[in-house]
Amino acid sequence: MAVFRSIGRRVGRRFVASLPALLGVVVFTFLLMRVLPGDPAAFFASGPNAGQEEIDELRRQLGLDRPIPEQLVRYLYDIATGHLGRSITTGQPVVRDLAERLPASLELSLCGLVLALALALPLGIIAALRPGSPIDHGVRFLCTLGVCVPTFVSGLLLIYAFYVLLGIAPDPTGRLDIFAAAPPDITGFLMIDFVLVGDLAGLRAAAAQLLLPAITMALFVLAPLARMTRASLMTVLGSDFIRTARSIGMTPWRVIMVYALRNALLPVLTIVGIVFSTMLGANVLVEKVFSWPGIGSYALDALVASDYAPVQGFVLLIAVLFVIVNLTIDILYGIADPRVSIE
Amino acid sequence: MNATLRHTGWVLRSNPVTTFAAGGALAMVIVAILSPWIAPFDPVASNVPNALQPPSLTHWAGTDQLGRDIFSRLIAAAKLDLAIAASAVGLSFAVGAVIGSFCGYRGGRLDRAVGRIVDVLMAFPLFVLAMALVAALGNRVENIIIATAIINLPFYIRFARAEVNVRRNAGWVEAARAGGDSHMSIVLHFLLPNILPTMAVQISLNLGWAILNAAGLSFLGLGVQAPTPEWGIMVAEGARFISTGQWWLVTFPGLALMLAVLCFNLLGDGLRDILDPRMRT
Amino acid sequence: MGLTRRGGLKAALGTAFGGVINTALPGTAGAQSRAETLRQVMGGTINTLDATTPGATREAFGAGMAIYDRLASFGRKQADGVWTFDFDNIRGELADKIDRSADGRAFTFHLRQGATWHDGTPVTAADVKWSLDRAVSAKSLSAAQVATGSLTKPDQFRIAGDHAVEVMLDKPDRLALANLCTALSPMINSTLAKKHATADDPWAQAWLKENTAAGGAYMVESHRPGQQTILRRHDAWKGGADGKPSFFRRIIVQTVPEAATRANLLERGDADLSIDLQASDISALQARGKVKLVAIPQTNGFTGIVFNTRVAPFDNVKVRQAIAAALPYDDMYKAALFGRGRTLFGADWSEAPSSAFPQKLPLRTDLAQAKALLAEADMASGFSTTFAFAAGAAATAEPAAALIKEALAKIGIDVSIQKMPDAQMTTMAVERRLAFFIESGTAWLPAPDYFIRTYFSGDQRWNFSGYKNAELDSLVQAARFETDAAKYDAACRRMITIVAQEKPTLMLWQPNQDAVMAPNMEGFTYWFHRQVDYRDLRRA
Repeated sequence: MAVFRSIGRRVGRRFVASLPALLGVVVFTFLLMRVLPGDPAAFFASGPNAGQEEIDELRRQLGLDRPIPEQLVRYLYDIATGHLGRSITTGQPVVRDLAERLPASLELSLCGLVLALALALPLGIIAALRPGSPIDHGVRFLCTLGVCVPTFVSGLLLIYAFYVLLGIAPDPTGRLDIFAAAPPDITGFLMIDFVLVGDLAGLRAAAAQLLLPAITMALFVLAPLARMTRASLMTVLGSDFIRTARSIGMTPWRVIMVYALRNALLPVLTIVGIVFSTMLGANVLVEKVFSWPGIGSYALDALVASDYAPVQGFVLLIAVLFVIVNLTIDILYGIADPRVSIE
Repeated sequence: MNATLRHTGWVLRSNPVTTFAAGGALAMVIVAILSPWIAPFDPVASNVPNALQPPSLTHWAGTDQLGRDIFSRLIAAAKLDLAIAASAVGLSFAVGAVIGSFCGYRGGRLDRAVGRIVDVLMAFPLFVLAMALVAALGNRVENIIIATAIINLPFYIRFARAEVNVRRNAGWVEAARAGGDSHMSIVLHFLLPNILPTMAVQISLNLGWAILNAAGLSFLGLGVQAPTPEWGIMVAEGARFISTGQWWLVTFPGLALMLAVLCFNLLGDGLRDILDPRMRT
Repeated sequence: MGLTRRGGLKAALGTAFGGVINTALPGTAGAQSRAETLRQVMGGTINTLDATTPGATREAFGAGMAIYDRLASFGRKQADGVWTFDFDNIRGELADKIDRSADGRAFTFHLRQGATWHDGTPVTAADVKWSLDRAVSAKSLSAAQVATGSLTKPDQFRIAGDHAVEVMLDKPDRLALANLCTALSPMINSTLAKKHATADDPWAQAWLKENTAAGGAYMVESHRPGQQTILRRHDAWKGGADGKPSFFRRIIVQTVPEAATRANLLERGDADLSIDLQASDISALQARGKVKLVAIPQTNGFTGIVFNTRVAPFDNVKVRQAIAAALPYDDMYKAALFGRGRTLFGADWSEAPSSAFPQKLPLRTDLAQAKALLAEADMASGFSTTFAFAAGAAATAEPAAALIKEALAKIGIDVSIQKMPDAQMTTMAVERRLAFFIESGTAWLPAPDYFIRTYFSGDQRWNFSGYKNAELDSLVQAARFETDAAKYDAACRRMITIVAQEKPTLMLWQPNQDAVMAPNMEGFTYWFHRQVDYRDLRRA
């Protein structure tokens, strides 16, 4: 119980401490968007015969005719009251757009992460057990190869191979086959929603749709995960308690699986947090290639069009997620290793 | 020194992957330096009637949409890409290491203030930040370098800070302080050189990443300006031809990009092994 | 025994594949409806259901055409085996009869009997009056557009009976009727719309962005901007040329940002139609022959190289002519466009031979002449400049830019290329901060005087080059109200000659509208708004 209380205190402290950073992110993004040389009013007032009058009208509607400090104060007030403005690109409130698209991005990133872990952990373990061997070098080479291909290239190649040539993957256009019936919107995570309504065919369809983009993302994060697993397992394997365990005659398998691995996974957990945050911010390109209706491609379109509100909303959302992921890792760490809370 | 050399030699011998990577990186640097002399064709001269030719004995990697020789462009691009990566990483290392070292050494209010700023940067979706920076500053080579450097900065600051923090009360630092060296001098002359080897690992890994970052920016139209040859642009342009059967447009630049990133990454890994004291025993 | 066992095995297999069989069942039932469903993939987004919203995308105009009716519609004609819209042949859409007064200053629209809105209520003259009032009064894209047809104030529209509306003009504007055929003159169910109007928003603009009050051929089933919009057929619609409902029961319009992916979808037969593929993909798709390609030059559009005629050195006509003589037109056309379009260069005349516009202009490569002209401009040693294009147009602009840079280096002009995000490019063009760039334009109403008025006179943004010429300006104002065909023709020829000589913009080509579709699709028509009109399409 004391452990949980202490974790709770820690989390609270960390959360309060992260508020200035969030404010910094908001203000910085706000100013950065205003520095962009593109004027959203000029860009969107592009109807036939649109003139200066239309541009001015759009600017007034967007509130861009006011001085920047006033715009900032209004924006901060909006955030405090739960509004993030309206996207001109989609014509919808940013909050609604993000809420609709966040599950898509989370589902993709999480599946990518799970796939990556499923590969990286075994690879890291076998590499750590035989350091310096051809297996070790092979694993390292393989993982590094994944980082070397830009995600937009590996994505396009996967589409070409599995959709165009072999025809086994479904068409790479979003989360669900366009002719399939979508599940009721319960959690927004399609796969979970399909499970909740017991539609296994739908689940399979959603999973098939997810597979290629998730692989693309997994390839990219394989290396840091495998590398960390290997390094941390090697450190643990060299420590005293493993020697003790071995010396009292435990089977090597048991030593590795039960004692070494459990301790080695803690540093991996930290990396997982970092990797997951990066994936959320960096899946912009993957979403673009796979027409994935996530927040990354949303922000990208908005950025190209100098559409301020969606980009600001996206950055804020990612920053908040970053804080939440760190807190989660903290809590998991606290549960796994009670010593942390003493610090 | 001798021991380090011997250790390095041992690592290289026992670690063929690192040797391969070091050789590859070296070869690329040489190609980049010699590029104006070894490219068989002018990398920007168009020849439209000869467009989209598959690889042949004249054009080893085929020709692109404007009939330019892809092989020559690859070689010319090596220079620019390596220069972008090296300057971006060099910049963030120089700034990050100095700031980080001072923070780690002095601690206190300065440290906390910088820590806050680093937190802000870390919480950003970094690729989007780079895009916005390049869009705001204009997509010229120097701005791509600056943007890449800025999004790398927090990692260097944190890393240098942590490394210095561990060492700031070490015996030899105390000795320097007792010997009357100024704080500035201690950081610059003693601490920075001392953490340099550990940071070399980071630098090498980062070089590869910086190349990829520039390529990603190019893919989104925020990269180096045409017709300058650059791997990222070539891959991005070539990607348009994947489904039309002109595979050489994306394959060769893609391989060059991959090879470069691969070499730097493996080299970084190898460096880590060289520096890892446990490997020496 | 063996038999039973095999039977058991079969049953077990049946259960194992049960899922597959079950999912296949709705598939076969769905095959019927799949044939009556059209799936279009596109790079853009329908960002509003009301095409008159400031900031509406081009895709939103296309959707608006299918969802709303207008009073009248352009006809369509078949030439060279392809369908295009017919600007000179206007028919009624929501109106079934249009009377024009002898002096050309009044039109009476007799509404189609029995026409209903999507909610089943009848269309009334009051609805039409409200819609027209909205077009000229609301702060929307409409006002500026319909003003080009001298429609500017609500008292020009009068209810002339339950099913008749009169439109009155001060002068007989040539384009008044045509302006009632565009996507910016939709007819709205005013009873429904007024329910959602507020004091701040008397024309229900906020509500109509996401909802419809329409009576066109299709109704909106679902709308997720940036992802997909699904339309369902309005079975009671009678506004078509034949008075019958459209062929397709369901239209799925899906956003697929990656052009190569769109091409893949077409080739695999998963999508039925796309009009925004890359030229390179189209050639490959055509060669492999699994899809049908309908290639129609965009007769009301152009891509051109623009000089900012208000800044040095491009304010000097000699410099513009020198550059015009130095460019490798053929190479650009082949490398950038893969020859997919209609060229506007290569003519050989000094007086325009016809009043059609855009037409082939006297643009030819002649390096010696280019050098001579540059010397005449006192710039024999050349100069440095920047050539800009939008990232969104990179597929064609990037290769063209590289060729321009190379060609101009030969006459001593040093060009640095600048690719910029689309919004930045637009902003700088509007503020006239670009000196030398590539742009595309389309005139919805392809009357030569309208085209020249839009692109070569005035201060509005579409006069890309900021061109000012007193003679042209007075000609273009007069031509608008000219009722004598011969005089109109002469005025247009003179204006074209001026543009060809002065070269504020080098009009290069008209890119194709390359519609790639399933082989069994028929009826695709090129429309002024460059979008798909779903009402034309059918499956063989």
